[in-house]
Amino acid sequence: MPKSSTWEKVEPADWRSTIEELRDRGFIFFDFLTGVDQENVDGNNACEVVAHLATKDLSDSHFISTQVSGELPSITDLIPAAQWYERECTEMFGIKFIGGSTKPLLRHENLGRPPLRKSTVLAARVLTPWPGGAEPEIKEDGSKVGNASRRRQRPPGVPENWLKQ
Amino acid sequence: MTRYALTSDPSVSVEVVSASLACCTLELQAALNSGALIQVSEVGSGPSVIVIAGTVTDALVPSVLELIHSFPDTKVMSFGACATSGGPYWDSPPVSKGIDQFVQVAAYVAGCPPRPDAFIQAIQELSANRAR
Amino acid sequence: MKHSFIALIEDKCTSCMLCVRECPAWCIHLDSHTVDVTEEGARRPKKVNVLDSFEIDYSLCMYCGVCIDVCPFDALAWDEHRALVTNNREDMLLGIEELGPSGSS
Repeated sequence: MPKSSTWEKVEPADWRSTIEELRDRGFIFFDFLTGVDQENVDGNNACEVVAHLATKDLSDSHFISTQVSGELPSITDLIPAAQWYERECTEMFGIKFIGGSTKPLLRHENLGRPPLRKSTVLAARVLTPWPGGAEPEIKEDGSKVGNASRRRQRPPGVPENWLKQ
Repeated sequence: MTRYALTSDPSVSVEVVSASLACCTLELQAALNSGALIQVSEVGSGPSVIVIAGTVTDALVPSVLELIHSFPDTKVMSFGACATSGGPYWDSPPVSKGIDQFVQVAAYVAGCPPRPDAFIQAIQELSANRAR
Repeated sequence: MKHSFIALIEDKCTSCMLCVRECPAWCIHLDSHTVDVTEEGARRPKKVNVLDSFEIDYSLCMYCGVCIDVCPFDALAWDEHRALVTNNREDMLLGIEELGPSGSS
């Protein structure tokens, strides 16, 4: 692990210049670039993009993040190693990297919604009865045995009324 | 295919082919190299077993079927939770929810992954069934 | 400590449903009902949960142990290795009897 790390949040307009400057300052080890879904926090298809660069001897590292609604300039001309990470970010989070490669990495093109977005619902979870929906007096399928009337909980990843959309 | 016999009872032996798809492979390989099994070269009387070890995705089903059909008269072992039911990935769209949707399974082994001795027990049971 | 099997200590279970809800694989199924129990000297009966059935579907279980960690009554515990090899998937659904800790009668 690096002995010290800095976290910096920038505007999308400064994304490229910040990374270029870090690279020129000696942060030449490109560790990763990935996304963090912020839809539930900030709405508007918001997604944070985070990159991690370190010095060659790994004594110092820098996290840079920015928040976008769907597009960000590519950094592959500055750091060619970022290409696979940007392509993965595109197919997992749905973010377009302008000027970057649009070749799919792991998934078939047009296969469906980006898997790592929270808004991508796994239908199997919605349709399968959740064992945790049962209570004393309430069966898994929702049928009541006694007088229990507690509101049924929902499992993680199952939005309310998803099927009715 | 390679024939393995139990070190403790060499009369019990199986021929093994594996579809080494994911993490369960490591425990399968640990079992095969554990010393509890020895490779034997003579033709034995025990069954032939295809071990499906790891997550099967729908995209991979044709290849898995081709493997199984290229060894006729073999028993299929569903090794681990993923091969048995989709395991922890049961809710993922590309994952097959259990290989028994498309093949007859002779032995299911629970685990995520199963321990190597679970594999040993499974081949003992498959051998015993054959003898009956 | 062997992390080879997850056993249920039936008398400790209060049907609180925490293990069922926290299981990431949705592999625990619990059925229970409530009864009124009147204790001597009490002004009114209290409701007590009675466990009707407890099942772990070992075809899905990923042996993460979250159920064991989360149980407030230590009714679930790691247990000695029991290789579970069956010739049909339904036999991997183990109930209270089969989930008893090794060493118990």
